[in-house]
Amino acid sequence: MPVVAFNVKDFEDRGYPVKRLQELLPSLGMEAEFSEGGEIKIETMPNRPDLLDFIGIVRALDHFTGKRQPKENFYKIDKEPVLTIDVDPSVKKIRPYIAGIVAENVDFSGNLLKYAINFTNKFTETYGRKRRKLALGIHNLDMIKGNITYAAAEDGMMTPLDAKADMSFSEILKKSEKGIEYGGMYSSQKKPKLPFIRDGERVLAVIPIIQCEQTRAKEDTKNIFIDITGTSEVAVENAANMIAAALIYGGATVYPVTVNYGKSAVQTPEFREKQMKMSLRRAELTLGVALGRHNIVGLANKMGHTAAKYGNSILFFIPPYRLDVISERDLIEDVAIAFGYDNITPLPVTGVADGLAQDTAEQENRLATNMVGLGYTEAINSILTNETANFENMQRKGKEGEYVQIADAKTEQITMVRTDIVPCLMQNLSISTNEKMPQRLFEIGRVFSLNGNTIKESSKLAFVAEHSKANFAEIRSAVEAALKSSDVEGYRIEQSSDPSFIEGRCAKVVSGGTQIGIFGEIHPKVLLAFGLEEPVVAAELTIIKEIKYEV
Amino acid sequence: MHEYEIKLLNGLKEKKGQSVSQLERSTGLSLDSILWAAENLSKSGAVVVERSAARSVSVTKEGEGYLKQFPEEEVVRLLEKSGGKSKVEALGNQIGILWAKKNGWITIEKGIAALTERGKQAANGEQYELREIFNSIYREQPKMSERAASMKGVVETLAKRNLITVDEKNVISSISITKEGLDALSGARVEKGVDALTRETIKSGVWEKQGFRPYNINAPGETVYPARLHPFREFSNFLRQKWLEMGFIEVSGPIVETAFWNFDALFSPQDHPTREMQDTFFLSNPESLTIEDLETLQKVRKMHIKGWKEQWNEEIASEAVLRTHTTSVSARYMRKLATTLNANYPLKLFSIGPVFRNENLDYKHLAELHQLDGIIVGDNLTLSNLIDTLKKFFSKLGMDDIKIHPQYFPFTEPSLEGLYYDEEHGDYIELFGGGIIRKEITKAMGTDKTVLAWGIGVDRFLLNKNILGVDSLPAVFKNNIGWLRSRRNLKV
Repeated sequence: MPVVAFNVKDFEDRGYPVKRLQELLPSLGMEAEFSEGGEIKIETMPNRPDLLDFIGIVRALDHFTGKRQPKENFYKIDKEPVLTIDVDPSVKKIRPYIAGIVAENVDFSGNLLKYAINFTNKFTETYGRKRRKLALGIHNLDMIKGNITYAAAEDGMMTPLDAKADMSFSEILKKSEKGIEYGGMYSSQKKPKLPFIRDGERVLAVIPIIQCEQTRAKEDTKNIFIDITGTSEVAVENAANMIAAALIYGGATVYPVTVNYGKSAVQTPEFREKQMKMSLRRAELTLGVALGRHNIVGLANKMGHTAAKYGNSILFFIPPYRLDVISERDLIEDVAIAFGYDNITPLPVTGVADGLAQDTAEQENRLATNMVGLGYTEAINSILTNETANFENMQRKGKEGEYVQIADAKTEQITMVRTDIVPCLMQNLSISTNEKMPQRLFEIGRVFSLNGNTIKESSKLAFVAEHSKANFAEIRSAVEAALKSSDVEGYRIEQSSDPSFIEGRCAKVVSGGTQIGIFGEIHPKVLLAFGLEEPVVAAELTIIKEIKYEV
Repeated sequence: MHEYEIKLLNGLKEKKGQSVSQLERSTGLSLDSILWAAENLSKSGAVVVERSAARSVSVTKEGEGYLKQFPEEEVVRLLEKSGGKSKVEALGNQIGILWAKKNGWITIEKGIAALTERGKQAANGEQYELREIFNSIYREQPKMSERAASMKGVVETLAKRNLITVDEKNVISSISITKEGLDALSGARVEKGVDALTRETIKSGVWEKQGFRPYNINAPGETVYPARLHPFREFSNFLRQKWLEMGFIEVSGPIVETAFWNFDALFSPQDHPTREMQDTFFLSNPESLTIEDLETLQKVRKMHIKGWKEQWNEEIASEAVLRTHTTSVSARYMRKLATTLNANYPLKLFSIGPVFRNENLDYKHLAELHQLDGIIVGDNLTLSNLIDTLKKFFSKLGMDDIKIHPQYFPFTEPSLEGLYYDEEHGDYIELFGGGIIRKEITKAMGTDKTVLAWGIGVDRFLLNKNILGVDSLPAVFKNNIGWLRSRRNLKV
């Protein structure tokens, strides 16, 4: 979940000291972590990008505490467009949509510019899917000359942020930090074309990588232009509306921008009235709270909605920054948050039900108890392993296509899912060489094999014994005891051969015509691979050949 | 008195303050028997045992190469062969040169090494005391040879040169008999009595006449360990028991899953960051699995296109993953119940099992974790029912003061999370997340019932509540047999 850092003092200045924040933020679904030096890190819910921004959090707090009531028609844009963006057909296949916002009298003083930039980064990283779906840039409006063109080209020149001179697009891609980070999304094109915006004088931004130094917004910047580009029309529109609403709440005046797609033109941002009804009965049935006794309009206001009673329903007017509200359930959730989750009285589920444990779980428990009775201590290992541990150390060879392989694990130790348990137990012995002998371990667990495209999950019992007198007779006795205690009857023990075991001291268990287990004395080569210096005997028995789930 | 004790006292009568090795010879008792008898007798005051810090020595691997010749000996022999003088470089062997010079066997001037008179003697086979002592240590290790012990500094020198290692131990240096011991001996006779019981002694009834020889019940026994279950099985069974008590049915589902049941059926958008490699284990073989339930497939497709207004790709949904949560089991059961006739609602289900996160592994992180998921399916189920169920469960674990906060999950709405105030850490810890399954999802699963759902991170719970007295998960699943055998019991 996204985390954004702020200075506590900025909240204090707006009437929210630490103590209040500790109580209010969790009630709104945010987690706060305070650190020395006055920093507060706020973790927000991923469906609420409006809360990635300082203004957004303050607004939520203002409404929740009743400090500022939401007003009807507060979010409106009644000015005429002051800027046009011409969209060139060259962007159509790469990144077709753009929205613009012009705002005057913006407050970027103190930490506010920093917060706006942090918001931009977090928002485009998460909601914007690493800028692929959505990216935005904030420019100093006073430095922009004439109208804006949105186009794509193979190359061009721009002075990127923090640079002193012009660089070519390709240089920016190869040399700048952001170019390396975000440039990759164009590499699949044969002759990559980069989208950019330009005004009458210069390229303002290479999208979605970096903007130019000349129009950089500073703490004393008052008038700004924001460009929002992306691959989804809805996402671009929504983002423009959300950001415009935050600017308005912060006291700025927002002007629309005309976006000219050639055949059609739109205005951004454009607030459409969003109304939604919430049935009181359904809200009560969802939450289990008699809401009728409470002031629901008041609860709606706490969440930033204006609302009115409408028969047996409540009519909500949803503010333009709430991108997450798409159905009645969202409104019911808002009402619950306003009501306070801790204020909901717990009510028991009615109806009698009988508990029932799963057979396989009980079977494994019985077997585990029996193994402990035989003097074996239980181990539980991960099913994730690698070829060296699972095959090579055991002197076995894995056949690709017969076991489940894992793609791109973050650690080299994980490349496959185990096919056997004994290798895990050998590993456990190898880290226990300093412990007292005899050492006896068992594990009941899942292993996986592959046949074509079909994965088979089996349940197995494996056990090992290590001590100076460990021999075939010991493991044979234990195998027979384990088989009998798990009600396996009519099995045969036959001579077998396996590179993990000493030839002539290895046997298989056969039942109903198929092999259900193997055991014997571990070969010294295997012992040396695991760094073991005492003899080890081992057994691996199949408990359930193929786990079939009921679902 | 035991036979050994009498033998020891007799041996001590002759001479005061004898060493254990002397006594071994004079009494004919084994070392163990002497120690055992001395321990008993010292308790009754019959003997006085004096202990001292004794050293045991062993020759190192490097030392073994020095038995025939030390490098400094090699140097003087080489010099002798080349007429008593040589360029230092020609000798090589830095260590040998250093020690030969230290011993006064050679002098070095302007890069030329010359043999001294003493050096000549050393080269011509005069005994090199350091090596002689070293050889005596080698022969008598681990006991310090008497010669080595008498030569102060030599042992230190050899240890410094990494030719031997010395262990300091507290051992018995001498045993002396006291007046009480002498008295006891004069009045003592061999204590008769039955020793270990045998079939013969039991039948013969000899014990009626002789009685039993009392044992020293204070003699320490060998440490033995019980074989035990893994603590995770115990903890998992404990949690299972609580849900079973509350009338829940235990279920389970596939560990290797399709992205479809792990993500798509739960309304997780296909371009969502959590589906990327960094969090989820995808398989390279097989890369994809068949989604068998075609009806649900179509419904899920509709749900995504309508809800996220994005393309929905069946290939992405077919990708094989290691499940990231047991909520996939809950999804499968929502679907199964929808096709079950005459189900007796409300139905309460839970499952517990392994889940996987593609993480960097370190002393705190594992890639395989465990989760417990539950659902209640029925009519007229409310958020307050969910809160009640979870509060009841945790109150069974002794956690009564649970805080409930709003939270976001893609598959529930409203969603909540439960926190518990951990007094030890002075902080709230997350216990569970849950909510009411989205209508979009229940509809796609083919049911018109309400579904309450939750998930509990089992491992985190195990660590946070200090149930095992261990603060690292890898320690729990490392399976060091010493820890498994001697770990403390679960504190639940």
